[in-house]
Amino acid sequence: MRKKVKRSLIVLCIGMISTALLLSGCSGSGKTSGGGSTAESSGDDTKPITLSVFMDAPGQQPTADNKIYKLIKEKTGVSLNMEFLVGDLQQKLGVMIAGGDYPDLISGNDKLINAGAYIPLEDLIEKYAPNLKKHYAEVWNQMKDPKDGHIYVLPSYGVYTGSVHDTTYQGPGFYLQKDVLKEMGYPTPKTLEEYFDIIAKYKAKHPDMIGFETLNFDWRVFPLQNAPEHLSGHPNDGGVIVDNNKAQIFADKDIAKTYYKKLNEVNAQGLLDKEAFVQNYDQYLAKIASGRVIGMFDQHWNFQDGENSLISQGKIGSTYVGFPLMYPGAKEYYRDRGGLNLNRGFGISVKAKDPVRIIKFMDALMTEDWQKTLQWGIKGEDYEVKEDGTFYRTPEQRKNADNNTWKLANKADSFFGYMPKMQGSYTDGNATDPGTQPQEFYDSLKPYDQEILKAYNHKTWAEFFKEPGPNPVYFPAYTIILEDGSAAQLASTKLNDLSVKYLPKAIMASPSEFDSVWQDYVNQIHKLDIKAYEDRMNEQIQWRIKNWSSK
Amino acid sequence: MSEIVLTGEVKSKKKKKRVDPEIGVSLSWKTLKAQKQLIFMSVPIAIYLIIFSYVPVWGWLMAFQNYRPALSFWKQDWVGLQQFRFLFQDDAFLGVLRNTIAMSFINLVLGFVTAIALALLLNEIKVRFFKRTVQTISYLPHFLSWVIAAGIVATSLSVDDGIVNTVLMKLHLIDQPVMWLSKGHYFWGIVGLSNVWKEVGWNTIIYLAAITSIDPSLYEAASIDGAGRFHKMRYVTLPGIKSTFIILLIMNIGHILDAGFEVQYLLGNGLVVDWSQTIDIFVLKYGISMGNYSLATAAGIFKTIVSVILVLIANSIAKRLGEERLV
Repeated sequence: MRKKVKRSLIVLCIGMISTALLLSGCSGSGKTSGGGSTAESSGDDTKPITLSVFMDAPGQQPTADNKIYKLIKEKTGVSLNMEFLVGDLQQKLGVMIAGGDYPDLISGNDKLINAGAYIPLEDLIEKYAPNLKKHYAEVWNQMKDPKDGHIYVLPSYGVYTGSVHDTTYQGPGFYLQKDVLKEMGYPTPKTLEEYFDIIAKYKAKHPDMIGFETLNFDWRVFPLQNAPEHLSGHPNDGGVIVDNNKAQIFADKDIAKTYYKKLNEVNAQGLLDKEAFVQNYDQYLAKIASGRVIGMFDQHWNFQDGENSLISQGKIGSTYVGFPLMYPGAKEYYRDRGGLNLNRGFGISVKAKDPVRIIKFMDALMTEDWQKTLQWGIKGEDYEVKEDGTFYRTPEQRKNADNNTWKLANKADSFFGYMPKMQGSYTDGNATDPGTQPQEFYDSLKPYDQEILKAYNHKTWAEFFKEPGPNPVYFPAYTIILEDGSAAQLASTKLNDLSVKYLPKAIMASPSEFDSVWQDYVNQIHKLDIKAYEDRMNEQIQWRIKNWSSK
Repeated sequence: MSEIVLTGEVKSKKKKKRVDPEIGVSLSWKTLKAQKQLIFMSVPIAIYLIIFSYVPVWGWLMAFQNYRPALSFWKQDWVGLQQFRFLFQDDAFLGVLRNTIAMSFINLVLGFVTAIALALLLNEIKVRFFKRTVQTISYLPHFLSWVIAAGIVATSLSVDDGIVNTVLMKLHLIDQPVMWLSKGHYFWGIVGLSNVWKEVGWNTIIYLAAITSIDPSLYEAASIDGAGRFHKMRYVTLPGIKSTFIILLIMNIGHILDAGFEVQYLLGNGLVVDWSQTIDIFVLKYGISMGNYSLATAAGIFKTIVSVILVLIANSIAKRLGEERLV
């Protein structure tokens, strides 16, 4: 019976999908005429107007006398009627699409784009929004919908100006506990040998600790699979490395073999967690939260929950610092600039009465003055300026900024999160927001963290990694979509299956058997249609270079 | 055929549906009218079956297409038996089929043996409070989701202070902790035992119900004839629940290709993947998550056909042995 129900579900889905397509067809055709007719009607730029806004995440309404929204209303005449998500997003979207009942501004969503809920923005920006035009100049072509070439949504993150000050680091790295660093005299490991040497020495003194941890569970296989590409000097491109815009898999290459052979040795020394390959994600987090793990390779956001638990337990010493280990001669590329978050941010709906006014409003907020107000706050109230022009906050201002009740009355965070924004630094050299102002970040840290940073002569965690230049045009390759049911997708899935199965086997094997298991793995890989996978990647990389390059 | 309809203890809904066309001679307005309450009662079931079991069969056509959701039916690409060929020529699928059947078989045998054993034991307990307590505790795990249950199993089997290893070490049965979840040949057993732990109490309920329906005079007669506890179990209780057992067995044999999904998905890992993958996981990976609904449908058809054949075989064996049966 269960199977049958499943099948009927599929049929139901087909029904729903086709209905949605039908609806999108209708509203799509209605949209162009609507957008065109209203485009000319806008004279007064500060006449009071209320915009309805929908945001696709739960949130809290700001207080009625919120000082930032008040300022926005004073200066631009715009008041915002904000609606936050309550309940299930897909359901809400379904209702919105079915009824064609859209607010003026809607947060970006693929489903809404397909349903034709947004008006194309490129002409409006060209005509009425010089600031936005300037802001998005570099990424203009990336923002275009690959299907019809229109821009529907203004990305809210990933456009940088000036020098980029990362303070925290969320990316890949070989992590070590702060207590370990302190006890071992603040070493800076640069190679796998140095790194595992530190772990071995520390574990000898603290036998209860787990030496090295990794994860091979469900879709979270990158802690095990991605290290070789970083060790050999490549950024995070997922399953391939890209040299001179040419992608190839690395699972079967020597850069991979060297790393896993090292892990095999490490396992033989008893440094690798015996259960690393059988644990699930929750167990992995639990181990990290117990403070017993000396180090691991991972991307920081992936074990952030474990670290948060450590912080709430007051075990700051058990949280982690990342190091960019390299193979001899390789050039470091761990840290990268976050990519553009396409289709996230605001789009103007087909139901908006005065799109010109809305785009002018968004454009007005794109000046440096407004950005400072929105990101730092109001000078003298929320931040101070030193004589040399550097922005900073007093301890009390910092405390306010952590206080949610205070923020509801004094910040416009929820709305601003979806707006186009400057990231990096302003023309006066200050970082765009307090969180990325190095000194400000340093001063807001706990004393223990300051001590560690001081020992390494750094101001931020990101400084442990080399500052990245602009991303390659195609970057990152892991966002390339493999078409459903294609040979490329099949090869990629099978390659992942092989890695999930053979890598643990090779690492757990006795060192004398490693080579034969590895050979077996490589032979299995070569049976797959890897070429189809690489061809698809390369074709898409070329497509992106052709279509995304600015100018 | 008709005598079962009249005497069968377990009244299956399917039975009624089948009767009408088969005794066609007696089907007339008169009989319909005479049985109108029965007819009314079966109408909702019939509608339910038509909507959820027959209409969707139309979707089987997908298995012979290279189905793409956005296209209309007429624009789909027909590929004949290609999806089936992919299934049966893939080495992985054959391994997956083996795992599915093996784990199902283990679950079936262990499930029946333990449930009947527990039912017999519980039935012998005369202290009501104790009996109820044992019963409640034993069926509590049934209400846990497999996500939680698998977490408990994984924690118990951990080398790191897992209860299983700790107990075995204290008993000096093993010298050092065994990594239960990393050895492929333990996996089937672990799944079997986890299933027993989770479901045994629940499965017992139906046997306990069957036992209560046994005529107490049979026990009295057996006592007078000098039967002890074990003789009564052997000669009264077990034959008394035999028909329930056979019906359940036939029904369960139909599910032999449903070895489960959650437990294997949650307990499985790279090291045991050759033993842990079941058809459902394979379908999820290569069918649904790759957008290849055709392959998923083909696998579904395969499972359905095998199930129907197995049920019919089991049924005919039961018939030949003169036992209670389903159809």
